[in-house]
Amino acid sequence: MIKIPARILLVDDEKDFVEMLSLRLTEEGQRVTPAHSGQECLEILKEKEIDVVILDIKMPGMDGMETLREIKRLYPLVEVIMLTGHGTVETAVDGMKMGAFDYLVKPSNFQDLQEKLAAAQKRRYEQEERIRKAEAHALARRSGDMF
Amino acid sequence: MAENNIRLLLVDDEDGFKQPLAKRLGRRGLEALMASSGQEALSVLAEQPVDVVVLDVKMPGMDGLETLAKIRERHPGVEVILLTGHASTADGVEGIKAGAFDYLTKPIEFEHLLSKIGQAQDKRLRAREKREETAFREKIRQQMIATERLASLGTLAAGVAHEINNPLAIISESVGWLRSLLNKEELKDMPHRDGFIMALEKIETSKERAKRITHQLLGFARKTDSLIQETDLAVLLNEVSQLVAREAAAREVRVETDVPPESNRIFTDPNQLRQVVLNLVTNALQATPPGGLVRLLVRQEQNGLRLEVVDTGEGIPKENLQRIFEPFFSTKPPGKGTGLGLSVSLGIVEKLGGRIEVKSELGRGTTFCVHLPRHYTPAGRNSA
Repeated sequence: MIKIPARILLVDDEKDFVEMLSLRLTEEGQRVTPAHSGQECLEILKEKEIDVVILDIKMPGMDGMETLREIKRLYPLVEVIMLTGHGTVETAVDGMKMGAFDYLVKPSNFQDLQEKLAAAQKRRYEQEERIRKAEAHALARRSGDMF
Repeated sequence: MAENNIRLLLVDDEDGFKQPLAKRLGRRGLEALMASSGQEALSVLAEQPVDVVVLDVKMPGMDGLETLAKIRERHPGVEVILLTGHASTADGVEGIKAGAFDYLTKPIEFEHLLSKIGQAQDKRLRAREKREETAFREKIRQQMIATERLASLGTLAAGVAHEINNPLAIISESVGWLRSLLNKEELKDMPHRDGFIMALEKIETSKERAKRITHQLLGFARKTDSLIQETDLAVLLNEVSQLVAREAAAREVRVETDVPPESNRIFTDPNQLRQVVLNLVTNALQATPPGGLVRLLVRQEQNGLRLEVVDTGEGIPKENLQRIFEPFFSTKPPGKGTGLGLSVSLGIVEKLGGRIEVKSELGRGTTFCVHLPRHYTPAGRNSA
């Protein structure tokens, strides 16, 4: 597992959950930003560079699915892992159809979460690599045309 | 006029009256029993089914009205037509008040009597239909109440489970954090470190147990689509039998499968069905003392197949038989089992278009029958 610290945004209205999971993830070397609502999540994404969002589905106010939709609309490259206390496979599948990377059922196994984070992080990194290469390619061609 | 299989009883002390009448009725397709007194009439009614009684009011011994009273008391479904003398229409009216269908004055017109007999029978049949309909409605009403109760319990259960998963997640992460702290270098020689670790392990185990319960509860209310495919029930039973082999051996209970050679394939969800059979077999094993036997059978039925789990265990008391499918109903000690298995199983089987029946005898054993249709219809509207 590549231990590049991921920039993680942890979104859940349960403050104690966010606090404890943040501590554990930080201990593992990740950089965690907490948020307690869908609204707060989008505000943070506006300001900060984030690799992976861990997103609770059932939240008061703007709920998880709505937030997911917005994240994918505004920041399509950010990977989202859904957390559901709900246990219904349908919601998870719907989320994945909307672009979520994966899902976990609460209470989740820390090991499982770490593996999914690593996988999401990997995809994000590879995507970024491809974009960089494509940009370099485009730049090279443009400079070529100029001369 | 009602059908010609009305069972008649003619009661009159004069043979000269009732024999020819019986003959005439016979020619019209109506067989009539005969009695010569009120007493005899009651004996006949006690032995044989009768629909309509034609009863003379004036008889020696027990008179017509007294006989009528006794008939209404002992055989309320039987209609009585009184035959009164020319000068005693008062008796007729008295009789109607006492429950007779109607009365005719002698000498009677045959066609008139026939017509009255027909009407009496119609009344009988209508009354019986009404009783059956009321009983049926009541049964349906009870079923609907039970179903609604299960459904709302299910929704309640799912809501509660979901709510509980959140604090469980917090407990889980907190335990993980404490463990992580305890593993730090600085706490290597902490006093009572072992005590902390042991307690954390117990919290972790209990959290896992609570998680299993909530997930089962959520499964109980789940609306997932089943994965329908052609399933060989013989194979499925054998799989379950293998799954429980170790526990069965430990309990010294034999598990046998009894599968006839003909095709045992139906379209259903094998995973969910396996869960149901496993639940039934596990219950059977737990109820059966060492030396006992649990049998798994498949049998053909008209519209599908029947799975049976038969045990030689302690049986289920009659008062519990109604309740065993209720969520949380359990006769096991606390901590052992959640009481959810059968309610989840019932939900699965019904969603698959089938039904579960249970028969039990205390001290002899219990049989669970799972009836399944051969073909699954999405709406689940099968008669299995």
